[in-house]
Amino acid sequence: MWFGFWLALIGLLAGALIGLKIPLILPPLYAKSMSVAALAALDSVFGGIRAAQENHFDNKIFLTGFFSNALLAAGLAFAGDRLGIDLYLAAVVAFGVRLFQNLAIIRRHLLKK
Amino acid sequence: MNKSVSISILLVAVVLGAMMVFQFRTTSSIDKGVSLSREQELSIERKQLERDILHLQEEVADLTAKLNEAGQGQTGTAGALESQLARLKLYAGLLPVAGPGVEVLLDNLPDRARPGGVSGFDNIRDDDLLKVINELRGVGAEAIAINGQRILSTTEIRLAGNHINVNLTKLSPPYRVSAVGNAGALKSGMEIKDGLVEYMDTLGISVKVQIKDSVQIPAYTGAVHFEYAKLAQRR
Repeated sequence: MWFGFWLALIGLLAGALIGLKIPLILPPLYAKSMSVAALAALDSVFGGIRAAQENHFDNKIFLTGFFSNALLAAGLAFAGDRLGIDLYLAAVVAFGVRLFQNLAIIRRHLLKK
Repeated sequence: MNKSVSISILLVAVVLGAMMVFQFRTTSSIDKGVSLSREQELSIERKQLERDILHLQEEVADLTAKLNEAGQGQTGTAGALESQLARLKLYAGLLPVAGPGVEVLLDNLPDRARPGGVSGFDNIRDDDLLKVINELRGVGAEAIAINGQRILSTTEIRLAGNHINVNLTKLSPPYRVSAVGNAGALKSGMEIKDGLVEYMDTLGISVKVQIKDSVQIPAYTGAVHFEYAKLAQRR
């Protein structure tokens, strides 16, 4: 368990470094899509943590869920922007609700131990 | 914890970290400026203004061209009017002129040279001068002056005592009639057989006609004023 935690921390730091070193900045038009993608990814991560605590963590589901959620959210937000529909709001609400649910369940699991 | 799970956790963590930091950078760079909608609004406004500028520039060019045209028209009209005015003044005798022509000198013969030796009664009359002017005009004199008095269309030539009034100015002999025109024609017109010179000779007046390359004729110096004549309505 603690090994996984440290692994995740190291990965985050490495990712942060990479993110700092990326030499380009997203044009404002795509910033919304990117933010929704980040939210979806975050949701997937918390979902993974919750699954791990409930002991039914599946690596394949975790990986595919992470990338497909992020890409789908970004794609929806982008398409919605093009169509004049604020679809990214739907993504924000959906993933936000799930995020808080997952956080609540994680908190309960931590407290029950 | 098996190997594939570790790898997937690492991969996800790296991607998540990169994404979040990248997003953070993007957002902060946008927040430095203005919001997205405001930027779009401003860019739309800017496009509108650029269109306006283009439009106004076209208008400026158009108006400048029109102004130039108007100015040219005005100066052209003014120039035409001025030259017309100058020409009319020249015809009317309000401008001094010079040119080839003749000078006719009329004087009383000395008593002894007179036919029949008659003396005493005077001498050159107004109708003599009128005849001279008439003759000169008849052969194409364009400008005539007597002793520096320009002959206009309104000029009177009138005997007044011992003098002859021309343009209300008293003139006395000898009379020098200057005329601009074809000098040869003027001279031969005066000196033609049975012409004025011979006729005047019988009256005891000596007439000398001199051809000159440049005869100076002054302008009429008085005022031209019509009190009764008005422009007739043209139909």
